Amino acid sequence: MIVAAAICPSPPLLAAELTGQADILPELRAASAAAVTRLLASAPDLVAVAGPAEATGTRDPEGALSLSAFAPALRHGRSLVDNSKKRAEGRAAAAPLSLALGVGAMLLDEAGYAGPRAFHGIAEDEPAAVCLALGRRIAASAPRVALLAVGDGSARRSASAPGYLDERAAPFDGAVEAAVREGDLSAIAALDQALAADLLAAGRPAWQVLAGALTAPHPRTEVLYSDAPFGVAYLVATLLPLGEGA
Amino acid sequence: MDDVAAAGREAELTRVPGPLRLGVREFAPGRPLVMAIVNRTPDSFYRPGLTWDESAALDRVHAVVAEGADILDVGGVPAKPGPEVTVAAEIRRVVPFIERVRAAYPELVISADTWRHESARAMCAAGADLINDTWSAWDPALAEVAAEFGAGLVCSHAGTLTPRTRPHRPAFDDVVADVLDRVLLLAERAQKAGVDADRIVIDPAHDFGKNTWQSLEITARLSELTATGWPVLLSASHKDFVGETLGAGIDDRLAGTLAVTAVGAWLGVRVFRAHDVRETRQALDMVASIKGDRPPVRAVRGLA
Repeated sequence: MIVAAAICPSPPLLAAELTGQADILPELRAASAAAVTRLLASAPDLVAVAGPAEATGTRDPEGALSLSAFAPALRHGRSLVDNSKKRAEGRAAAAPLSLALGVGAMLLDEAGYAGPRAFHGIAEDEPAAVCLALGRRIAASAPRVALLAVGDGSARRSASAPGYLDERAAPFDGAVEAAVREGDLSAIAALDQALAADLLAAGRPAWQVLAGALTAPHPRTEVLYSDAPFGVAYLVATLLPLGEGA
Repeated sequence: MDDVAAAGREAELTRVPGPLRLGVREFAPGRPLVMAIVNRTPDSFYRPGLTWDESAALDRVHAVVAEGADILDVGGVPAKPGPEVTVAAEIRRVVPFIERVRAAYPELVISADTWRHESARAMCAAGADLINDTWSAWDPALAEVAAEFGAGLVCSHAGTLTPRTRPHRPAFDDVVADVLDRVLLLAERAQKAGVDADRIVIDPAHDFGKNTWQSLEITARLSELTATGWPVLLSASHKDFVGETLGAGIDDRLAGTLAVTAVGAWLGVRVFRAHDVRETRQALDMVASIKGDRPPVRAVRGLA
């Protein structure tokens, strides 16, 4: 069963090494770290990470985010001289994960989680029914499962956004945030797949995995961050089944 | 990166690259340094008289420190021929100024641009940390002064020139080989005289005893100097070889200077003598990031 769940976004800029000397969006980094900390406070015996990937399927539990895919100067685990942060050496050789799964792995590493983990990639065009079913299987995969759903809202939130401005983007992201805030998982399950794809909302399948996994009717939810500072919507939230930890 | 930079011709490693110590400071390899020029002269070749007035010179010190200068190079005699400046006059021009700078900036590295040991001694006594001997040990006693004060020494190549003369038909079988022979010999002599090896810098001295072709050749083959392991000083700012190469007048050589700076940085030069500190620092930062030695100030593009 699911003992805790969290939603985090997956911009590469969450990795401190990738943004240079500046501390970019410290409040987003802090909110993501806080969400993962709460997830781990549920004492799970497995952390499952679900996120968009090229194809649906499980991935190497030892996998990691490939920083050098984004910053070739960081290849071979090298850290630039005046970078304050440096990853543990051992992770550099790990199999590269998709961005969303890799960000999930990074957040777990940064939280100091060393327990069992499972990575579930979901193809970006996977229909809702498949995502919900995968969520149910993840919930049943261990007695105490913590689920981290990694994915982003629309990348069309402003004229300077990667996908330029689409007026439908803000209402779409607003509806997702409201559904999460209210614990209305049926609204997440019923998200318009074609609209999400139009709006470059890559997190849709991950959110629907979460909706399938959480069977409690009214989870206790908290939104820790919801904004689109660079035109991509980032949502950070925790969802705890009622009674857990109460 | 180092393999690429050193790929030119074979050069003998005569020194294991290590920290460069100047004054109380210690600079690790991989961090290029800017040496800002402050001339206490009325007649230097570039912007003559700019810092002849002492308060103007002090203002410039404040400005270049704010712009990121690591070293201040203070000189009282122009390199070009001109009215004689006696040792006494040179000392009057620079020593009180060095004392004031030292008082204002206790840890700033101060370099004494001089070729006469009497002047060098007075400048080191006033607080200079490095003797910038551009005239290639014309006065061999400079090394002893450096040793006496625990100061550093720039070992340069000036062909067969005597100070304040212009090159006349200089010819070399291989100008870079001549430079290497000379600066390595001087570095060895300096060590024997008691100069701390961590405080020795080598300088091919562009334009000094060289025509434009020869200065361009040295620039292209700076990797052979950096491959020796000694820290290399590059002094090209607004010089004639830049002007002749570009057909550019004295006030139109910044782009050419920065191009030479970038090539030098790519090839591993560690100290850059410059009039334009802010622009030089920017060029060096850019090259350092291209080499992967320095992260960008802020990288967000494509990462949101």
